[in-house]
Amino acid sequence: MSDTMHETMNDRTPVIELKHVDKHFGSLHVLKDINLSVQKGEVVVIIGPSGSGKSTLCRTINRLETIDSGEILIEGTKMPQEGKELARLRAQIGMVFQSFNLFAHKTIIDNVILGPMDVLKKSKKEAKEEAMQLLSRVGVDSQANKVPAQLSGGQQQRVAIARALAMHPKAILFDEPTSALDPEMIGEVLDVMTKLAREGMTMLVVTHEMNFARRVASRVIFMDGGSIVEENTPEEFFNHPKSQRAQDFLNSIQAH
Amino acid sequence: MSDKRTSVKDALFEPPGPKTRRVIRIATVVSLAAIAALLWVVLRRFYETGQLDARYWSVFTRWTTWRFLGKGLLGTLEAAAVAGVVAFTAGFLLMVMRISGNRILGYISTALIEFTRGVPTLLFIYFFFLVVPKFGIKLPAFWKVCLPVSISACGVVAEVLRSGVNAVPKGQKEAAQSLGMLPHSVFLKVVFPQAFRFVIPALISELVIVVKDTTFAYVVNFPDLMQNAKVLISNYDALLSVYLVVALIYIAINWLINRASVAAAGRTNRYAVPAGKKQ
Amino acid sequence: MGIKELLSQYGDQYIQALFTTWKLTAFSFAIAFVIGVAVTVMRISPVQPLRVFAEIYIQIFRNIPGASLLMLLVYALPYLDVLLSYFVCVLIAASLIPSAFCSEYLMAGINTIGTGQIEAARSLGLSFMQIIRRVVIPQALRSSVLPLTNLLVSTMLTTALASQVPMNPRDLTGLVAHINTHAVGGVTAFLISALLYCATAVVIGQVGNMIDRKVRILR
Repeated sequence: MSDTMHETMNDRTPVIELKHVDKHFGSLHVLKDINLSVQKGEVVVIIGPSGSGKSTLCRTINRLETIDSGEILIEGTKMPQEGKELARLRAQIGMVFQSFNLFAHKTIIDNVILGPMDVLKKSKKEAKEEAMQLLSRVGVDSQANKVPAQLSGGQQQRVAIARALAMHPKAILFDEPTSALDPEMIGEVLDVMTKLAREGMTMLVVTHEMNFARRVASRVIFMDGGSIVEENTPEEFFNHPKSQRAQDFLNSIQAH
Repeated sequence: MSDKRTSVKDALFEPPGPKTRRVIRIATVVSLAAIAALLWVVLRRFYETGQLDARYWSVFTRWTTWRFLGKGLLGTLEAAAVAGVVAFTAGFLLMVMRISGNRILGYISTALIEFTRGVPTLLFIYFFFLVVPKFGIKLPAFWKVCLPVSISACGVVAEVLRSGVNAVPKGQKEAAQSLGMLPHSVFLKVVFPQAFRFVIPALISELVIVVKDTTFAYVVNFPDLMQNAKVLISNYDALLSVYLVVALIYIAINWLINRASVAAAGRTNRYAVPAGKKQ
Repeated sequence: MGIKELLSQYGDQYIQALFTTWKLTAFSFAIAFVIGVAVTVMRISPVQPLRVFAEIYIQIFRNIPGASLLMLLVYALPYLDVLLSYFVCVLIAASLIPSAFCSEYLMAGINTIGTGQIEAARSLGLSFMQIIRRVVIPQALRSSVLPLTNLLVSTMLTTALASQVPMNPRDLTGLVAHINTHAVGGVTAFLISALLYCATAVVIGQVGNMIDRKVRILR
């Protein structure tokens, strides 16, 4: 309940922690008693059939969706409900969306420096230098002065990742980052994400890319019908799924 | 999930926390009070100047008043309907000229469209009221309203129709041509019917402008709603109340037409509307 | 009356009339824009009474005919002991009606932004006001250039209402009515005014297109 949790924070305090989170959309119970924690440096991948509530779960963490009950903690601090406190905590958690959501009226570089300048109050020069480094890290530095509509979907999504990184976030949430991409562009985005994971970024990824989950995840969470059904290492989950629902799900995607 | 998309209007403000909820509650109370105060001031003004007195409003208890206004309304609707048909016909011709591919026809049409869109309806009305009779042409009052109003609208109609034609996918035309259809029947039977469906909402909205423009009928003494209101005012001592009621009638009619336009837009959306069709 | 005679007798008045029309247009449009923004703010606010109030405002002034509104201002308001000059009456009528449309266009501009960008801005930690300033306003304004250009032209057309009240100096429409009731102006007198209106509309349209090409947002 208190902000003094900071002082008791230690290495084992999760970056993201959800306790007994419940949420309804009208009569639909979309999140049922969700308990989940993500440790520093972990890559947690959430999979599950569509409508299972995985996207909603991801969006509750920076309060793009509200919750009905339960707690969401960022490094032990309870997620505030509004105001400057909420904005401050959001700035520490990056987010990458399915539909990229780059600012359509700004150039690529201006997309990346908006947060650092307006929120972190960095100078334009400093923000720009760092933004260029980030853009070259994700391989789109040559496009810096174009506007989003001139870029391919894969390039836009890599810019969105750079935009999130520019805030030096404690963790990044990926909400189905490759679902809106043409097949040939999925790889370039997953490569960037894999690189990030190897460098120790804390990540929570909602995805349908099973190969990515298998190779990169520290932990896989399987959701269905609004609850977490199974939670395991990728090897265990993909080779020996315990629940019937997870087995059905894995069979159904292998059928394709 | 992503299918639960709200409009930007509602997304701008995120779900409020307790503090924001309190602020919103206070703002709600304050704004309600302000609106109530505004209404109070207006009503008080009516009361103090005696405009709430029964004698100003008793006109409306008489059946004849409503029959007279109803007649005027009929005049308005008749003029608007005829002007609408004329504007549509002229607009269609201008549109065909413009897309005909003939350079000269194209220029003439563009010039006419720009001219009719850039000149106020009132100026056209004065043209028909003051200038035309000097050439010995005696038009009935009805046409002195309908013609200027439709001239004023036809340019917009032409452009609306053209945007509809541009929105019909090329493949439709090519498919019809490959069936061996002649150019004009390709246009009339395949392209235009689709184009027309796309622009029904925009055309209905233009009808609102036509209805509004017919209110200048009093300039040429055509008995429309506004003109009959003026007659009523000169017979009874009830200017404010009559003008107010007439304004409300106009607002109600145009509101209904706009609703029809929105409903039509909902219906036409069922046909895949190509991107980039809305101006 | 030939064009030479007409111009020598009424040339000055035409110039005055043109400036009157321009002045009315510019003032009305400026007022309409300010009101339009204010009404739009009410419409997107989370305060329900303001939303309802703004919605009613829009419906009234979108749908009331200019003549009807002008009659109320000129002839009905004095019964409430509110006396306004003819110029002010025309100005109000020619501002209130476009203000409703202005708000409609701004709302359309806001709606093209999409919720995704607003969520993205929020997840970067931008405050509400920062989102409005940096994301919403720039995009809404840039995508309403063409509608607002058309609105400026239709505001000019609305100012022809000035011909319905005695005004000195007259506007372009009032002058034609005046010339034709006092002399034999004929088609020429009408055409001069019409061309001045048209030329203004074309120039506004061209400038609007130019600005739009510069600031248009690729999507």
